[in-house]
Amino acid sequence: MEHQSEKKFPLTAKDYKLYEEVGEGVSATVYRALCIPLNEIVAIKVLDLEKCNNDLDGIRREVQTMILIDHPNLLRAHCSFTTGHNLWVVMPYMAGGSCLHIMKSAYPDGFEEPVIATLLREVLKALVYLHSQGHIHRDVKAGNILIDSKGAVKLADFGVAACMYDTGDRQRSRNTFVGTPCWMAPEVMQQIHGYDFKADIWSFGITALELAHGHAPFSKYPPMKVLLMTLQNAPPGLDFERDKRFSKSFREMIAACLVKDPKKRPTSEKLLKHLFFKHAHSNEYLARTILDGLAPLGERFRLLKAKEADMLSQNKALYEDKEQLSQQEYIRGISGWNFNLEDLKNQAALIQDDLVSNSEDSSESRKHKDGQENLCFESASHSKAASHLEGELNVVHNLEDPLAAFPMKPLRALKGCFDVSENDKAADSPSL
Amino acid sequence: MKKLFKSKPRTPVDLVRQTRDLLVFADRGGPDTKESKRNEKMMELSKLIRDLKVILYGDSDSEPVPEACSQLTQEFFRENTLRLLILCVPKLNLESRKDATQVVANLQRQQVQSRLIACDYLEKNLDLMDILIAGYENADLGLHYGTMLRECIRHQTVARYVLESERMKKFFGYIQLPNFDVASDAAATFKELLTRHKSTVAEFLLKNYDWFFAEYNKKLLESDNYITKRQALKLLGDILHDRSNLDVMARYVSSEENLKIIMAILRNSAKSIQIAAFHVFKLFAGNPNKPPRIANIFDRNREKLLRFFADFKPDKEDEQFEADKSQVVREIVALECINRPSIQP
Repeated sequence: MEHQSEKKFPLTAKDYKLYEEVGEGVSATVYRALCIPLNEIVAIKVLDLEKCNNDLDGIRREVQTMILIDHPNLLRAHCSFTTGHNLWVVMPYMAGGSCLHIMKSAYPDGFEEPVIATLLREVLKALVYLHSQGHIHRDVKAGNILIDSKGAVKLADFGVAACMYDTGDRQRSRNTFVGTPCWMAPEVMQQIHGYDFKADIWSFGITALELAHGHAPFSKYPPMKVLLMTLQNAPPGLDFERDKRFSKSFREMIAACLVKDPKKRPTSEKLLKHLFFKHAHSNEYLARTILDGLAPLGERFRLLKAKEADMLSQNKALYEDKEQLSQQEYIRGISGWNFNLEDLKNQAALIQDDLVSNSEDSSESRKHKDGQENLCFESASHSKAASHLEGELNVVHNLEDPLAAFPMKPLRALKGCFDVSENDKAADSPSL
Repeated sequence: MKKLFKSKPRTPVDLVRQTRDLLVFADRGGPDTKESKRNEKMMELSKLIRDLKVILYGDSDSEPVPEACSQLTQEFFRENTLRLLILCVPKLNLESRKDATQVVANLQRQQVQSRLIACDYLEKNLDLMDILIAGYENADLGLHYGTMLRECIRHQTVARYVLESERMKKFFGYIQLPNFDVASDAAATFKELLTRHKSTVAEFLLKNYDWFFAEYNKKLLESDNYITKRQALKLLGDILHDRSNLDVMARYVSSEENLKIIMAILRNSAKSIQIAAFHVFKLFAGNPNKPPRIANIFDRNREKLLRFFADFKPDKEDEQFEADKSQVVREIVALECINRPSIQP
């Protein structure tokens, strides 16, 4: 019953021995490490505070959330302390790594249905707990679903989590534009009425598709285009032809999550009762099925990083400007994507009218054909256009033409993106 | 019998009363009670606190009902329930501690007949603040009591009490605790105390100027701890730039000692600390009535300062920073013009 871990984790860097890198974020690196006095392997997220300009408050909230959480399906923090200008957050070590990394290493086309059901049931239990505490996770995706050596599943990364009860009041809704675009619910993009717990249910549905295919729908497009497609197209779902291997209940579960009207989506509690989750198995099943035969996490991480570096160097000329680097991070599925005005402008300028009307079906089939190649191509064309725009005085004109052609709603979505900080203030929100 | 009891719909007032009864039990901690009986009662208490929270915040399906909230609040403060709840936090499990924290936070904002009755209650029970502040000394309680404390100091009279209490001095230590989560929470509360209620803060700073800034300089600005130094500089900048603290600012920037400290920090190896120090330094430079000793320091370091500012810029482009910097550089050059006649008579 005593919840505060009986073990006291030490609060000085010298009591830990850092081993290899096992994860990487925008301003943080995760290491496997040994806690020397307890002789226990842990993961330590090392965050360079010099790179976090004015968001110390957001970092404080993230760490506090992780410390105060107590649920088998959520990654909690054992302790946190600063050393020099780095913040160390000590966490349990999840030897399997994230579902995204496992898919990239061994299941590029996604998992089998019983595996997906098992993973998703565990994630959903985490959401039920978070929602009951008034938290919205805001960044549910395969990259944030971690597995330990025994097959236990934990949802991680509260970097953008928000609390509906933050300031002692129930917030009517949140109004901040955060998350990762592919997984982002339409109401989060639109910023008209705000959003609530139901935004996580949408992301959960997108994550289900991600686990089924190995990538999220629209994942090869730049964020701007993802916004438009999410808002304008019919919600994505499993394809009748291509996804024959999946059951009816899986199809229905996804369809229930991916309804554009958030009021019509089930709560996490209700969703957990869905027939689909009856197909879930045990943690041991996961360990046996997807972890068996995988190389150690550090090695996999190194290989994936080398592969990406390779991809980067092949396209070296194309990846010179900063926008490209962030685009690359986006493709890797790293959370904490920060929209900035310039990125969006550049991406908006790229959108062609015919792409806007592309349906999910045709884009899916295109992706099928081209696979990874397509991903590089998309980035390449983006880079060229972006560098053409760079420094030109008529950037604004280029921008405004495609914008003017947009229907009303996406236009508001764009406006929302640009006003991130203002909205943030209005909602008295902790973080971007 | 138990089934029957449970199925009875309970009003908000009933819930508060039952909570209070169980809190009295938990607080007394009767050693004569059987363990199993005790666990059962603590479980029931946890459930009641959760129910109170749901009334105040609603849940994923429903919004809170104002009438129920108002009844709950009124019953809560009719007797000593808040004190009991605060005292019992150490005896609750983690989930109930969080629920209790959210309940206490919410009650600070509930109006009954357009009065914040929580404020009336706290004014008569100010010693509760001492208990909450001392929570920072216990890593397991700090975050819960800290959050409650920040909500309570939304009331101006309560904030004034904390500012003027002996406990205020303790914050200089809490901010530097080794656990980042607790230390940063104390820093957030400290900031709230020194920025939220403008007139109270200005009054406090003037009255307590000497010890406060002596501690601030020595323990926070000159701390070796990166995060302490950085947050303290940022807060100092915020305080001194606030119009309501004009008198305090004028006094601060007239001190040679203060200027020396800030100039030393300007040479810190961390960019964000340098930038935060610059926002304080510019007030010294911009002071139209520089005391001779201050002017003297500028004069003696003119070349070095100008050289320093020539390459000093943030990593990200910042128009406001550039404007401030050129202003500071102009001030330094202008001082030269004033001083030159005396140097070359």
